[in-house]
Amino acid sequence: MTGSWRLALLAPALVVLAIAAAQVILAMPAFGHPLSQYGATVDALVPMLRNVSNMVAAVNFDIRSIDTLGEESMLICAVTATVVLLRGHRGEGMTECAGRLPGRVWLERSDATVLMCRLAATTLFLYGVNVVLHGTVTPGGGFQGGAIAASSFVLIYLGEGYSTWRDVLHSETLAAVEGFGGFVFAMAAMVPLAFGYAAAQNVLPLGTWKDLYSGGLMVIVNAAVGVAVIGSFGVLLMEFMEETRAPKPGDEDDEDQEEGA
Amino acid sequence: MNVLAWCVAAWLLGVGIYGIVTSRHYVHLIGCMTVCQSATYVLLLGIGFRWGAGPPIFYDHPPGTPAVDPVMQALVLTDIVVGAAMTALLLAIALQVHKRRGTLDPQHLRPLRPRE
Repeated sequence: MTGSWRLALLAPALVVLAIAAAQVILAMPAFGHPLSQYGATVDALVPMLRNVSNMVAAVNFDIRSIDTLGEESMLICAVTATVVLLRGHRGEGMTECAGRLPGRVWLERSDATVLMCRLAATTLFLYGVNVVLHGTVTPGGGFQGGAIAASSFVLIYLGEGYSTWRDVLHSETLAAVEGFGGFVFAMAAMVPLAFGYAAAQNVLPLGTWKDLYSGGLMVIVNAAVGVAVIGSFGVLLMEFMEETRAPKPGDEDDEDQEEGA
Repeated sequence: MNVLAWCVAAWLLGVGIYGIVTSRHYVHLIGCMTVCQSATYVLLLGIGFRWGAGPPIFYDHPPGTPAVDPVMQALVLTDIVVGAAMTALLLAIALQVHKRRGTLDPQHLRPLRPRE
């Protein structure tokens, strides 16, 4: 289908969308006056019921904990699918030599880059862990803190180069970390069932409001999500970076490569 | 002002769809999909917003002060996480398509036809 045909089909579709959107917009409740009682009830009751101050974390890790378990499983499934797709014929055997385009200039990293990356990577990782651990108290939580901590891996790559990066991080370890986080979350949902409670019911002592330990089971679920997100993002980065390394002979499907070139 | 947030959401969705339809590169197309997705962020946060309310985190101000809807914010968080994972998955597919076909232009891919 050529570009003009696509646009010709798109135009009526957008007209229909515009009419439908206008209908919906006119029927929406007034902006800034939410009708939902759910959120208002959470705001009013949950600080006393669960001793936590971060309501978003309370919704994610306690009130709608089973939904978050589904979301977590989706994340792990998507990461697994990405890994399977990227590895393809490459398998798990990996060289520790970065690929290089012929003719590209090779520049040595400056000491300042290496130093800054080492400092920033460590600080960023600790900051991410801090955001995870205070998930029930201040803004943040497992997902946000995990993403911050995992981005320190990119800084290690930037500062140390490919081969050192591969020495420091192992994809088996990252995958195990990811799986462990998911497992702990699933257990946090299932273990209460074994004792006759509802799934993921908050059965632990609730702790004190504004304290690092506040929210009971939420603390464990939050930390498990953080660990799983660190593992998932690490695995993703590792597999995408693997695309840049030098292929070993017979390691990759050379036929496809030639055809692609 | 009352309808601005909803109009922005609809506009983001429309612009994203336009980008997907006219896209000439799969990575660009994935970017357009995330533009469509950001319409849902605007919509959800707009639904949860309350005039004169603070964040739903009762650390500095005591419980009982007006706060925006925490359920909507939790939903946006879910949205972002799933979106990031899906983007990674689509980019992996794009890499494999490029390895097999040597192009990422949807115009030249013709996935239903056998390889020449």
